[in-house]
Amino acid sequence: MSARYGMVIDLDRCTGCGSCMMACASENNVPPLPQATARTGLTPMLVRKASNGMEGGARREVFIPIMCMHCEHETPCVKVCPQQAVEVDKATGIVMQMPQRCLGCRYCMTACPYHARYFNWWDPAWPKGMEKSLNPGVASRMRGVVEKCNMCHARLHTAKEKAAAAGKREIDLADYVPACVEACPTGAIRFGNLADPNDAASKEARSPEAFRLLARIGTEPKVYYKSKEAWVRALAESKSGSVPEVKRVEAGHAEVQHG
Amino acid sequence: MASAALTDSRWITRGEERTSLSRFLLWLAPWTVLLALGAYAAGLCLYFGLNQTNMDNRFAFGLWIFLDLGIIALGAGAFFTGFLVYILKRAELRPILNTAVVVGFICYSGAVGILGIDVGQPLRFWFTFWHPNTHSMLTEVTFCITCYLLVLCLEYIPILLRNRQLRKLPSFLVFEHQLHKLVPVLAGVGTLLSFFHQGSLGGLYGVLRGRPFAFRQGFFIWPSTFFLFILSAIATGPSFLMLVTATVEKVTGRRLVPQEVFRRLGFISGSLLAIYVAAKSIDTLIWLNVTSPSVGFAPWQYYIYKPFGTPILFVEIVLLGLVPAFLLTYRKTAMRRGWLLSAAVLACAGVLLNRFVLTVQTLAVPTLPFDEFLQYTPSWQEVASFGGVIAYGVIIYSLSYRYLPMFAPSKGENTNVSGD
Amino acid sequence: MFPGIDGFHWTAGHVVFLSLFFAVVMTIAATVVSAAQRTAHAFRKKRAIEFCWKSDFAELPEAERRCRHELAGRVMSRTCDNAFDCRHCEKYSQFAVLPARGTVHSLGLDYPEDRFYHRGHTWVKPEEGGILTVGLDALAEHVIGCADSVKMPEIGSDLEINETAWRMKKNGNEIRVRAPIEGKVVGIGGPEEGWFLKISPRLSASDPVALRHLLRGPEVYGWISRELERLQMQLRAPDTPPSLADGGVLVPGLMDAVPEANWDNVLAETFLEV
Repeated sequence: MSARYGMVIDLDRCTGCGSCMMACASENNVPPLPQATARTGLTPMLVRKASNGMEGGARREVFIPIMCMHCEHETPCVKVCPQQAVEVDKATGIVMQMPQRCLGCRYCMTACPYHARYFNWWDPAWPKGMEKSLNPGVASRMRGVVEKCNMCHARLHTAKEKAAAAGKREIDLADYVPACVEACPTGAIRFGNLADPNDAASKEARSPEAFRLLARIGTEPKVYYKSKEAWVRALAESKSGSVPEVKRVEAGHAEVQHG
Repeated sequence: MASAALTDSRWITRGEERTSLSRFLLWLAPWTVLLALGAYAAGLCLYFGLNQTNMDNRFAFGLWIFLDLGIIALGAGAFFTGFLVYILKRAELRPILNTAVVVGFICYSGAVGILGIDVGQPLRFWFTFWHPNTHSMLTEVTFCITCYLLVLCLEYIPILLRNRQLRKLPSFLVFEHQLHKLVPVLAGVGTLLSFFHQGSLGGLYGVLRGRPFAFRQGFFIWPSTFFLFILSAIATGPSFLMLVTATVEKVTGRRLVPQEVFRRLGFISGSLLAIYVAAKSIDTLIWLNVTSPSVGFAPWQYYIYKPFGTPILFVEIVLLGLVPAFLLTYRKTAMRRGWLLSAAVLACAGVLLNRFVLTVQTLAVPTLPFDEFLQYTPSWQEVASFGGVIAYGVIIYSLSYRYLPMFAPSKGENTNVSGD
Repeated sequence: MFPGIDGFHWTAGHVVFLSLFFAVVMTIAATVVSAAQRTAHAFRKKRAIEFCWKSDFAELPEAERRCRHELAGRVMSRTCDNAFDCRHCEKYSQFAVLPARGTVHSLGLDYPEDRFYHRGHTWVKPEEGGILTVGLDALAEHVIGCADSVKMPEIGSDLEINETAWRMKKNGNEIRVRAPIEGKVVGIGGPEEGWFLKISPRLSASDPVALRHLLRGPEVYGWISRELERLQMQLRAPDTPPSLADGGVLVPGLMDAVPEANWDNVLAETFLEV
């Protein structure tokens, strides 16, 4: 049975500490890039901040970790890549990027609704001594190609090897934990197989407090967010906020049924 | 007619007067400097990487893509004139045919050159051909543009081989003659290819679900921008040819084509522009009222950022669309050169604005609710590279004008060479 | 791209797209190959020179394409539309029966009546045994004077009509003399006797059209008068109006006498070059 790996991020628990970003960069051999700016940096996991637009005592803010949503339906980046350097892995639902085939045309970056793709504007370089911290299981990318979150695919490989060594066909989900999930101090990021109805993350994704960003665009992302705050859930739609609460919740249900 | 110590009159078509070699070199000098600067900027980008530009993860496409789409739209006059002359047999446009081919060649080779430095890994260009993704508009664009550039080279070769000295080699002249007889085939192929790639360039943006500002519904797999781009390209291509020819006439100080040719080009451009404005207006209304709201974006959202307010829509469709369409087709203005050329300028500006809106404004407008409207200013390397392309174009055209029979009426079109 | 290559998935879309693409590429390739093949074919069938001459003729200005019958005074005005190929001209017989007008005045140049003249300023003289001698006419000799170098064809080589028979160089200008007749080169002469070729013609002397395209008799006067007028217009000092020079003799060795003229253009006009 093929899996559909996804995440549910509890925004009520996210403190914006950025440990997930650090863990991701460390796991994926992201170069430090001291010369990068906010818009030229390499951050496959990026924590954004949003507010409810008010000031003073009424102001509320929330931190939203953004990474590749591993869209399931008409995956925009897969559709637009001219040389098929991205594809959806049918066995896992992970959207796989092949840096070796990437031409660096950046069309996928334009197409991604969540701006979750990052370009290598510089050659990767690590200061002397830092090469000792590199993860040998993950290849580094060259200048001029696009990269993004790949659900720590190397860790999936490790889990598969472990299962194969033990003679099992299916992996033990406890062995496959992406770096960000592992690093989050409050356990806000939950990872699991959305195809398995008994999976904890899968159950959370179907709760009424769960939502997905830009759901109406229809790409069926597999990264869900959840919050008890209504204004946070309103972020699922566009800024216009023209869609009433009722319809949004109904849409959430409709999405869950579809998923 | 004293011959200077250094002269190249042997190379100039007999009967044509051209300025002296030293004055010509003087004319080329500043363009050569600009070309060198452009080459240097491009070299920097190739050597150091795209961090030399001001593009970033949010503005993944910048000045280069905007200008590429622009010059490909303006270069559409090449295939369209070929289509009109060879397929529709509109012989009155023959005088402009050579200019159309050279302008097309310049625009497409320039665009391909810039694309070569715009990608992160230029040496991997062949991957698109080896692993094509038929769902992607960009694959279609790549295939068609490379093929079409080949077609343009093949159409340029006969003009080149008609140079006074080159034609003295019998094999060149016979080959030119044989190739020239097959030009209608090339014109047909060129029309087919251009139809598809002009459309696919529009399709590039129309399929982007993640960018509701650009996303459009359409017909089968083709969004409405596919058809709108074709229309706007064939509408403004003839206007651009008119402007190029008028500029050449101004610079050289002589009338090169009959005024009737300008009026025809203007009329064709204006009529197509009128159809385009109608189609674009309908499309815009559908987008504002149906497509955009259906993905959760109310249209007023896009236009709250100064200076990209709703006036842009008005400028694009009315001022730079409807107005030139009227001026180019209304008898009283179409008869006057001044009005024709002004209208042509407006039309070309209109297509450039349209490409700008779709490439740059699309990326500036926020999609996620916690995003801001983004700014982008191209770096000097980006501007210089494109300046180099313009200089390249001027140089190629100047050389063609000086040494090739660009405007000499080809008396030999219907010479009866019996036997094949 | 091909089945079996890792990661490539064939779909109906691929079949449609790639078939279209290859159809287009094949069409373009076929165009180029076809043009190249026809070129090679033309050379094999010895028609290349004919193509080149007709292409060149088409590019000549109208003033240089006057029909011989107009020059001979038989018709008021007529532009040749057949690349001076009177042998295959439908209208030739119609005009030839008309009398050639104009009295023969002295041109100051020697144009013997026993020869036939080609528009490219060569003469053809039938000799014994069917051989033809070909040489530069008086106007050409006067223009060129003493050539710096001459490159004659090899004996035994074949010449096509209107092909470059021999080349001459003078003051840095190259003159390509067009062959007035087709045949095999059997003899070469010059410089003492004046440069000439002996040609064994392909068409026999008994063929009535063999030499039809060459000018003769009273036609020559009209033609050469025009040529002299043309030369005078081109060699006058700039900004002077054209004058009608009556009488006077053409100075021999014009290229040395008037070195500042645009010889490139003058020679092209004289020797039917583009």
